[in-house]
Amino acid sequence: MMDKHRYEDVGETLWTQTLDNGLRVLIVNKPDYHETYALLATDYGAIDTRYVPVGGREFVQDPAGIAHFLEHKLFEKADHDAFDLFGATGANANAFTSTTRTAYLFSASTQVAKNLDILLDFVQDPYFTDKTVNKEKGIIGQEIQMYQDDPGWRSYLGLLGNLYPQHPASVDVTGTQASIEQITPAMLYRAHKRFYHPSNMTLTVVGNCDPQTVLDVVTRNQSRKQFELATPIVRGVQADLDATAMRQHQTIQLPVVRPKVQVGIKGLVDVDDSAAGVAFQIAVRMLLEALFGDSSPLYQAWYDAGLVDDSFDYSYDAQRTFNYVALGGDANHPEELIAAIRAVIARGAQQPELTQARFERLQHAALGKYYMSLNSLSGIANALSAQSFAGANLFDYGHLLQRLTLADVRAAARQLFRLEAMTSFVILPA
Amino acid sequence: MRIELAQGVGLTVVPTKKFKTTRVAIHFLAPLAQVNVAARTLLTSVLETSSADYATQAEMSAYLETLFGASFGIGVGKEGQWHRVTAGLTLLNDQFAQEALLQQGFAFLNQVLHRPLMHAGQFDEAVFKRERHNLQLYLESLSEDRQTQASLALQALYFDDDPAQATPSFGTPAGLASVTPAGLVTAYQQLLSSDRIEIVVLGDVQPDAVEALAQTLAFAPRVVPAVALAVKGAPRAQRTQVETVPVNQAKLNLGYRTDFDLYTPAHYAAIVANDLFGGSPLSLLFTNVREKASLAYYASSSLDAMRQVLMVQTGIDAESAAKVTQLIAQQLEAVQAGEFTTDKLRVIQDGLVSNRETAYDSPRFLARQALLRALLASQPTNLAQYTAGIRAVTKAQVMAAAATFKLEAQYLLTEKTKGL
Repeated sequence: MMDKHRYEDVGETLWTQTLDNGLRVLIVNKPDYHETYALLATDYGAIDTRYVPVGGREFVQDPAGIAHFLEHKLFEKADHDAFDLFGATGANANAFTSTTRTAYLFSASTQVAKNLDILLDFVQDPYFTDKTVNKEKGIIGQEIQMYQDDPGWRSYLGLLGNLYPQHPASVDVTGTQASIEQITPAMLYRAHKRFYHPSNMTLTVVGNCDPQTVLDVVTRNQSRKQFELATPIVRGVQADLDATAMRQHQTIQLPVVRPKVQVGIKGLVDVDDSAAGVAFQIAVRMLLEALFGDSSPLYQAWYDAGLVDDSFDYSYDAQRTFNYVALGGDANHPEELIAAIRAVIARGAQQPELTQARFERLQHAALGKYYMSLNSLSGIANALSAQSFAGANLFDYGHLLQRLTLADVRAAARQLFRLEAMTSFVILPA
Repeated sequence: MRIELAQGVGLTVVPTKKFKTTRVAIHFLAPLAQVNVAARTLLTSVLETSSADYATQAEMSAYLETLFGASFGIGVGKEGQWHRVTAGLTLLNDQFAQEALLQQGFAFLNQVLHRPLMHAGQFDEAVFKRERHNLQLYLESLSEDRQTQASLALQALYFDDDPAQATPSFGTPAGLASVTPAGLVTAYQQLLSSDRIEIVVLGDVQPDAVEALAQTLAFAPRVVPAVALAVKGAPRAQRTQVETVPVNQAKLNLGYRTDFDLYTPAHYAAIVANDLFGGSPLSLLFTNVREKASLAYYASSSLDAMRQVLMVQTGIDAESAAKVTQLIAQQLEAVQAGEFTTDKLRVIQDGLVSNRETAYDSPRFLARQALLRALLASQPTNLAQYTAGIRAVTKAQVMAAAATFKLEAQYLLTEKTKGL
């Protein structure tokens, strides 16, 4: 029997069920929509290069980029490509790999049941040979080259390099041409066996679909397959919350037209995905909006002074084993911008922009933006999927936002804004 | 559905309960040949960041926050031979917000469009200088994105006999440098008093109430020039350009002339032919150039029906340019020669239909359809009409459509001088 939870404030219902083999299934029915969007995700990403294989005792070390390589390679089978199976129904398929997750998805307006079978089958039935693996090295090699030409990507990776010199978060998700060269079919099978067990995966289906029908299709599909009993995953990657393990600053030159700045603040406290952890993340995003958002007097002063323009952006990323704030964009005077950001961080929780009136306005706006974001099926599915192990999910956000106080935001500033955790990365025109 | 609020000022209301939002878009349209696109782009920045009621961007954003975090922006684009400036506002819908947000949203648009920050008939000098400077820097840095650079360069090469089409919708650094404070005021007045205006409102709304709100914008009647939407040019000789810059991955982009009338069977055939050639992940370019030959990270094509051009874009190794060029030509020949099964054709059609159905879940797409229907009599009025057009395409029609695709422009962005 599926668990059914109604969220009255947003008018959404979430159906959940964990199958006998451990696969979590999350379903949201949106009967007005044509589309159904399904996402099958594993809790395995670019940082998980070190782990104990199933049945083994010792850690193994895989080459950087293996999770992304595996994602590419799963589509190809002995006599067909999974892309074509989706395509034959008119559906679109895709996949992506991040630092901590790998996800496979389709979007379909018809034949949802058939596409669910295709999705589960291609992800759970690996096929790797020397020939197909070697061919893929050419394709991913091209992808790596392309990212090298993207100054935004270089600047993001540069910042991560400063924040996490001893942690795999700083390694490009795609790996390097040298690292992917070492990948073999045996390594791919070994990683698949460890991380693609149903108990490490979540299937999220959002759209025009009947929840019971979806669950029946998935249950039937899974009952046709044999899986070993789930065993605990032992990962080599450790949390990096160490301010001494950082590079303070780095400048590189690239063929760009405008200088680029990224400032990072390393999180020195682990942020998990309990309800408290999720609330903390909301508080941090509110803090950043208050200080650096479009309505901030501070941002306006910087904008008027020519320190920033509308390329300036900020984000907070909290992942398994690491979390950090990133701020930056194109800057005509990189040193001045870094100094200005440093002055803000030095103020800790004492920020003139954090008034009660302003907090209430931002809270009201955040609530509206959250409700508006629920128009997007892919947005709902991605958020639900990413939090499938968490103590709070996307549909709890409204309540968490309403419960947030100015004191929470100040506390977030006190915890995160530490000068010793700050780093900067600059790209100058060659 | 479309009503005339005044001569040359249209309103289309699309009531739907499907979304949690209401979208308001006010489109200003003028023939490209009659406007200064750089001035119009600068105008969008100036209007977006200042007004008599909200002197700074911070004040304007703070007001939008009180409207439940409404999102507002002004952008530019091209619709064939026309230039478009769009002021767009997305609001939480009134039922959900339990507040008259739509009314407040219209009042806000009224303020921003009709009450700019001006002194003695000129835009605020500091705002003018700052926004022109920022836009200048932005235009100069577009080449940092090599895909954008290649795509703009191909557009310039393909339309090298038509300056209005060769120039991007947002202008060029040279064009912007010549915009004066007086020129910006002229562009503003022209936009408000001479441009064709199309207002689109989509969401859980009452058409009568929306009409009353739209009337408060008080746009005066105007005479809309008789300029066609579609860009029709005559076939020309092939032209080639190679540009060298420090890149790891080369970009090869190609432009083909096409020839059909909008939303005739020939247009639907061209849509299917493009999808089979390079428009879909199941296309020949994707499967044979990217997947099979492992020669490109991306290889795709897109059809710009209003401008009658099909563009191919690829990211490749510089050494492979000649080989990729040849492979692309072979894929088009295969479509022309009918070297595809009827199964494949059906799958491509299914994909197009499915994508269209999915697009109908997007408020922005639906609002854009309303604009296009206002501009183009032949634009499909509903989903069924479009899908019927796609489904009716035969193999012979696809081959015939592909036979009309003529390669005219080849652009290579590469590190080395060898290549094409």
